[in-house]
Amino acid sequence: MSYGRPPGIESFSGKPPALGSFPLDHDGECKDFMKEYIKCLRANKNDNGACREFSRAYLQCRMDNGLMAQDDMKNLGYQDSSKPTAGEESKNK
Amino acid sequence: MFRLIHSARTLRTARLPTLARATPLSAAWRAPTRPLPIYPRRGFASSHQSHSESNASSGMYALAIFVSMLGVSYAAVPLYRIFCASTGYSGTPVTDSTRFAAERLVPDGESRRIRITFESNTSDSLQWSFKPELREVRVVPGETALTFYRAKNHAKEDIVGIATYNVTPYRAGQYFNKIQCFCFEEQMLRAGEEVDMPVFFFIDPDFNDDPYMKEVNTITLSYTLFNAKYAKNIVPGQRP
Repeated sequence: MSYGRPPGIESFSGKPPALGSFPLDHDGECKDFMKEYIKCLRANKNDNGACREFSRAYLQCRMDNGLMAQDDMKNLGYQDSSKPTAGEESKNK
Repeated sequence: MFRLIHSARTLRTARLPTLARATPLSAAWRAPTRPLPIYPRRGFASSHQSHSESNASSGMYALAIFVSMLGVSYAAVPLYRIFCASTGYSGTPVTDSTRFAAERLVPDGESRRIRITFESNTSDSLQWSFKPELREVRVVPGETALTFYRAKNHAKEDIVGIATYNVTPYRAGQYFNKIQCFCFEEQMLRAGEEVDMPVFFFIDPDFNDDPYMKEVNTITLSYTLFNAKYAKNIVPGQRP
């Protein structure tokens, strides 16, 4: 596709998403979960590590309402939530 | 005086003067009693028959080279595609499912938090408002993160939009893995409808090993929404 262009020119370097596309939430079924997640992030200075529970809850809502393919939370990066810190998780794995 | 002899088959015989004898002047040169052969001297030109043979064989060689070059140029197309797909040369999307294995989706506790900022653009032919809900999220490599974009259809009819994205800085794009998002697929919004579109992504754990990424503290994800009616071929590579 970019054959023939001079080197150094940026070309699209992204990959298609692994699980494809999210179906649109037309009825707003998971809107509350989204609002909780955003509220948590705003309170924690946009630190994703502090709000993992809320994003996990949002994805769980999507799965429950048929807006996302059912998948094990471990495959989506949510390891067992009983472990308190992220540092411990990486050591255990 | 020597003669150039073309045919190998005929041996010409020539007459040589005989040994000098004391003869009277009247007895001049006499023919030798037996013929003495003279071997033909071959020049660089070969015989008439090997001319055409060597012409034919070199013609065959030339034809064979021509046909093989033609074959190689046909074979180059799939070979180049395989090479690009395996090495990701020149921006070809590398589809490798092992990068999304569960072992890699572990947050790396020791590395610094990277700021991911979100931008949005819409095409002029699309009457949607499209804004990121969150301006930035701070993640570590390996940690999966969720963000949202809000889109509202301001037109009076249903419109189908399609989004593409890019990641800045350019080299960081190879570490930006998206698990699920809303790009490259047509999304329809009814008239006046408003939806939240999530993006679920993570930064590849190999990010920490790349020396070019040492100074990178901010990665920007930028989405552009187009009207699917006017944008038939904006999706690079294969559509999922």
